[in-house]
Amino acid sequence: MTFNRRILLAGAASIALIAGALGSPALAQDRTELVVANSQWLDALRGSRLWAALEKYEEVNPEIDMVQQAVPYNEYADRLMTEMGAGQGPDMAIVQEGMLYTMADAGFLLPLDAAAEGIDLNVTNENGVIGGERLGIAWQRAVYALIHNDAILAKAGAEVPTDVDSLIAAAQAATEATGAIGLAGRHSMNEFNAWFMDFQNWAYGFGVNWVDADGNLTINTPEAITAVTNFAKAYSAGIMPIGDPMTTQRTRFKEEQVAFAIESSGGALNVSSGGEMPSTDLGASKLPFPEPGAHQQLFIVLSRHSEHPEAALDFIAWMLGDEAQQALRDVSGPDALATDVPVTEDFIASNPWAPAFAELAQNSRSTLIPGYEVETTSIMRIVMTAVEKVLLGAETAEDALAEAEAEIKADFN
Amino acid sequence: MQTVQTTGLASTSRKNRTRSGRLAALVPYAFVAAPLAYLGVFMFWPLGRQIWMSLTDTRLMNPTHGDFVGLENYRDLLTDPQFYTSLNVTILYTLWTVVLGVGLGTVAALAMDRPFKGRTIIRAILLFGWAVPNVAATLVWLWIFNGPSGVANEITEWLGLGRIQWLTSIQWALPSILAVTVWQVAPFVMLVMLAALQSVPEEVREACRIDGADGLNVFRNVTLPYIMPTMQLVSLLVAVWSIRRFEIIYLLTGGGPIGSTSTLVVQIRLTAFEDYELGLASAYGAVGLLLALLVALINYLFERRRAKVMSK
Repeated sequence: MTFNRRILLAGAASIALIAGALGSPALAQDRTELVVANSQWLDALRGSRLWAALEKYEEVNPEIDMVQQAVPYNEYADRLMTEMGAGQGPDMAIVQEGMLYTMADAGFLLPLDAAAEGIDLNVTNENGVIGGERLGIAWQRAVYALIHNDAILAKAGAEVPTDVDSLIAAAQAATEATGAIGLAGRHSMNEFNAWFMDFQNWAYGFGVNWVDADGNLTINTPEAITAVTNFAKAYSAGIMPIGDPMTTQRTRFKEEQVAFAIESSGGALNVSSGGEMPSTDLGASKLPFPEPGAHQQLFIVLSRHSEHPEAALDFIAWMLGDEAQQALRDVSGPDALATDVPVTEDFIASNPWAPAFAELAQNSRSTLIPGYEVETTSIMRIVMTAVEKVLLGAETAEDALAEAEAEIKADFN
Repeated sequence: MQTVQTTGLASTSRKNRTRSGRLAALVPYAFVAAPLAYLGVFMFWPLGRQIWMSLTDTRLMNPTHGDFVGLENYRDLLTDPQFYTSLNVTILYTLWTVVLGVGLGTVAALAMDRPFKGRTIIRAILLFGWAVPNVAATLVWLWIFNGPSGVANEITEWLGLGRIQWLTSIQWALPSILAVTVWQVAPFVMLVMLAALQSVPEEVREACRIDGADGLNVFRNVTLPYIMPTMQLVSLLVAVWSIRRFEIIYLLTGGGPIGSTSTLVVQIRLTAFEDYELGLASAYGAVGLLLALLVALINYLFERRRAKVMSK
């Protein structure tokens, strides 16, 4: 087969025309891309449902293309901070409360007041106001509870525990009767970013504040020693799957291999869907500690580096509307949203564990240390290193926390 | 006239020769230019930037606006106990990886150097660890070391040793990481040493045997001197790779428990991406670079000594 010069020239001209048309600014200008970053996009089932709820914005605004930036949870903070530090990154991001404060401190965020105008935002949005500006709007608040597989508890003849000793006893009974793991939960520095938030339940549960009445950091308190000692007691009781990452533990819970876990409502929704365990077998109760526990809070933020801040504000305003909030409610389980949208009766009927979370949300506390929101992660890394020392028997709770307090006071007070 | 013409021709010819000589002299530079440009852009420039950054208070949040702080980061580094822990872990990890990786790799190469039935299949199996991508292999090992249901604990239980916290106890975390590293490194060493072994002249070994030397003597007096330069080079490579290794350690333990597996590279990640202190992280990187240069220097000194001995 031979080609003459005319055919080749015609071919080249056609390719150039097509390439030119595809890259034409005139065509590209008609559409605006809004990129939203979130680690939840990768969650099994929930991720695609949440995204579908947001994608409805394209129906209202056909000139907008919603684009998701899905980053695994473990590398989410690193990736986002690096991108934003370099003046790049998504238009909007769903971030943990701690990241919101860090980003605000670095000046990465634009105010969202315009988007929230005329919207009756609920209490979960309080921490989104920093320095008098609204920099974050609540995406979801996930409160912690003690969740349990009631079918396993029934086989073991175990009751829902109300303190740490009865938790250990019930977990051991469950393991003996069914072979299931007694208590799931993060327990190593390998998962620090989530472990410190989980651990705040034990700390708050025993009355820890991390700051005194004057707002000064205080680590080595009797309450903190009690909290760490109790966590170490559970750790060494042989009821926890030592070495398992939380993703594995959740999968085990889904597959009816775990009796108890201290989980957020997001985690509860995760374990109750897509596995062997019927959601009706899942129970949720008050944490087995004297005081209320913690909640994780996610915010949606608008990047200062966004090329379409007006469009992004318009999107957030739409997201706060009744229709979008209801769509998010339908896929967010019992998590509290930016506005008060009640959980539907249908959802409660198929997920009887859900109302317990709403009740616990009344008194739960932020995982951030008041007055030290930006530094919380760094402070808690020192605290959790102390906790790890106690878990591994390297030091007593008193010594480890005294060392942590000295280090923290030298670095942060 | 003729003389003049001859002189002219000779002159032209000399000019041509000179020009081609000059061109010929430029050829090596032309060949070197491309890799040099590559190294300049992707290695020396970032390296220079890193060393500069280690003298500033640059933060991840604002990576282009660090202020010069002199040696402050190095002072912070030298007064931080975690630095010494990381340095110690890095040295231990590197030493053990070289000793075990090169040792086992060489033993495997010696075994593979002799013909036996099934050699090809066994060699392929031994190479598996090296061929599998690091991250995939590490995730498989994560499952092998899993506390409640990992294969490693099934074996220790069957042996009556009970369950071991492979990755979550201070005693076992570093040895477990070393086991995975050696599993990955030894096949590469085996491959390189096998090539070196196959270059040892068989007649020299044969002559040694005829002179009454046993297997160990043949190895010590003939084989080892032949393969020593290769062994030295492969040790250097394994050492430098060990100083730089990140993914195996980070995925298996994240540097824990209590920093017992936190090498300099893991500490760099923690400092840069969790504390957001790029300046301090760069100082950690500079120390790592010094360590790698030190290893290269030791290798160079060995090499020079060996060259002197050979020339005598």
